[in-house]
Amino acid sequence: MNGWAGKVLDIDLTAGTSRTYPLDEKLAHLFLGGRGLGARMLWDEVGPSVDPLAPENVLIFTNGPLTATGYQTSNRFSVSTKSPLTGTVLDANSGGFWGMQFKKAGYDALIVRGKAEKPVYIELKPDGATINDAAHLWGKRVRETTQLLGQNNNKRNVLCIGPAGENLSRIAAIMNDGERALARGGPGAVMGSKHLKAIVVEGKQRPDIVDAERFKFLLYETRKMLKASPLTSQALPEFGTSVVMNLLNNIGALPTRNYQASVFDQAEAISGEALTDKYLVKNASCWACPIGCTRISKTDKVEGEGPEFETTWAFGASCGIDDLAAIIEANSICNDLGFDTISAGATIACAMELTEKGQLDSDLRFGRADLLASTLEDMGQRRGLGAELADGSLRLATRYGAPELSMSVKSLEMPAYDPRGMQGQGLLYATSNRGACHMRGNMLGLEVLGLPKLIDRFQVQGKSGYVILHQNTAAAIDSLVICKFTNMGVSEEYFARALTSVTGVPYATGDLIKVGERTYNLERLYNIREGFTRADDTLPPRLLNEAVAEGPSKGWVSKLEPMLNEYYRARGWDQNGVPQAKKLAELQLTDLVEAVR
Amino acid sequence: MIDERIFQQFSEIGRDLYEHQMISSHGGNLSIRLGDRIIIKRRGAMLGRLRPHDLIETGIDKNDSGVALASTELLAHRTIYQQTPALSICHCHPRTAIALSLSRDEIVPIDNEASYLLKKIPVIWEEFASGTPEMANKLAAALQQYKIVFLRGHGSFAIGQTLDEAFFWSSTLEEACEIILKAKIINEPFIEYRGMSNAYNKW
Repeated sequence: MNGWAGKVLDIDLTAGTSRTYPLDEKLAHLFLGGRGLGARMLWDEVGPSVDPLAPENVLIFTNGPLTATGYQTSNRFSVSTKSPLTGTVLDANSGGFWGMQFKKAGYDALIVRGKAEKPVYIELKPDGATINDAAHLWGKRVRETTQLLGQNNNKRNVLCIGPAGENLSRIAAIMNDGERALARGGPGAVMGSKHLKAIVVEGKQRPDIVDAERFKFLLYETRKMLKASPLTSQALPEFGTSVVMNLLNNIGALPTRNYQASVFDQAEAISGEALTDKYLVKNASCWACPIGCTRISKTDKVEGEGPEFETTWAFGASCGIDDLAAIIEANSICNDLGFDTISAGATIACAMELTEKGQLDSDLRFGRADLLASTLEDMGQRRGLGAELADGSLRLATRYGAPELSMSVKSLEMPAYDPRGMQGQGLLYATSNRGACHMRGNMLGLEVLGLPKLIDRFQVQGKSGYVILHQNTAAAIDSLVICKFTNMGVSEEYFARALTSVTGVPYATGDLIKVGERTYNLERLYNIREGFTRADDTLPPRLLNEAVAEGPSKGWVSKLEPMLNEYYRARGWDQNGVPQAKKLAELQLTDLVEAVR
Repeated sequence: MIDERIFQQFSEIGRDLYEHQMISSHGGNLSIRLGDRIIIKRRGAMLGRLRPHDLIETGIDKNDSGVALASTELLAHRTIYQQTPALSICHCHPRTAIALSLSRDEIVPIDNEASYLLKKIPVIWEEFASGTPEMANKLAAALQQYKIVFLRGHGSFAIGQTLDEAFFWSSTLEEACEIILKAKIINEPFIEYRGMSNAYNKW
């Protein structure tokens, strides 16, 4: 099985045991790795009766057939679990170095099940795994934990949770390499519920490549294309992901003050340009990445990685805050406590609107940058109002009688693109299997950046085709697992050819996209089994009913309903959003259909 | 009812194809996929002078009355949509590329832009080059591997997410072929300027 390590490690924390078994070759060919393989394993492991924070839930860490091969951005890895925030299928992936090391340790997947009696950490090496006492680490923050466990980028890499995960915050992330996050949907809480503080990996096995000569040519051509694209060779390295802040604001698609507006007058102050001018110390890169979008930023109080665009938006425009130093500090605190910055920022924004509307008695009001740090600390330790904020915006807004003020889909907070100014993005959020997310495909390329070509962002007819293609492509990329920014410079055709040269298994571009489609449908089946229906494929009422008042998207609401009907038909689903038998047969998922009948 | 924005895309690209001599007055066709539906040029319509009623909507898998009006290449377009992730197809008859296809099994560009974008374009053929399932299947199979493919002596089929993109591959191919032709006319020794160029024919 070239490209794959061929092994799965299964650790039972309740019993304190581990076992290794071969990776199912058929599953590997159908789902590749990462998100796809994780979803398929989760289907068998965790059914609808399981509480996400119970020992019966599992964490499935996966890499992919390209991981650690040296292909551009082949550093990423994924975790799959049932989300404690949304109740849906969940996967989250992250870059850095841990994923590369995990693959080099000789495993395609690591399943962690059960619950340890006391806090533990796992140490994973090519010759097996040990479960070790973590009493001395429990309660410690992410950076200190990472350091204490001996993080060394090229030899030994640490993944851990911080206080947020230990305290079962439903928006807690799993952190790796000190500053990187498997962020969305609360996987950190699942890890905390298992009393699992950290996983340390050391690896030394380089993956085999079947056609090294062809692979070398693909590396060369991919590097050439990434250099040729101003987005991957200039914009991202120079300004980081926040390069899109001004672009979105200029077209009236930057959600502001909890989505009450779509233009933020102070966007310039929190833009990628401002970050580079005032706070950037240097760039950094994940393993095998020629793009280097990571920011190392410094203020009077903190120095570290980030913030990414979504983070800057969540604590910035979303909270009506233009103090970039305070945003950088909020990001740093989130990384150290182990929070998903999007959900943390969006939940604080929700609390601000609840307060301003008289639903909640607090000091949180739009623009109060001075309260960000203390609020996050309270959330991490579950103190006072922080205990309520720690479970995300929908639970908070529901508790205070205004669930419509949670800007979320399937309980997951929406990121930084206003669907009223990007019609396709609204459909994408509404139909995203893990809840509102810009990483399940993103219409930013087509509707804003012109990648591969610009389409009309207000067009409704035909949008479903683009959304489906991008959702499928994203799922395929998440299964390889590589960084989606690579796809901004080269098409998925390159990934299919790289996959073929590494594994020796012929994958045409269409085959790769089909892996994504298979994964997407499997995730859909999982959610249906959990009780989700068409009614959950929606957007907050504000976006459907309240037209944008000012700016370039003035007068627009999301025209979701006609797009959704077209989407289901194009997906081969019925009008309730259930995949039809013909589609499941085409995707070789027929064996799962009975489970949702 | 076909959205005005969609008609405009067809109209503008159809006009460009004609004006750039990539089709004859009634040749070539364009289509887009809308889920399980296809919008394609009406049979006999002129791409350079499209009117709204020249766009026909029918099923990708199922026939309906629209099929009576659709382009003669409907079968090829449907098969491509059934077998690839394409959302748009541009079929045209670029003249220099047709000339080169008569003597080659693949077209390997020598100019910089097409080398970046296309690497190589396979040339395929069938005795009955229009409207047959054999041709349609062969075409779709090739388009699983390449974004543009050439039918010997006939024309190119390019796929993309948008019509704009499929047109881009088509015009890039013709430009590459004109450069190959001009280089042959000049007939001076080729000075290789690209790294790993000997691997392009393995793409």
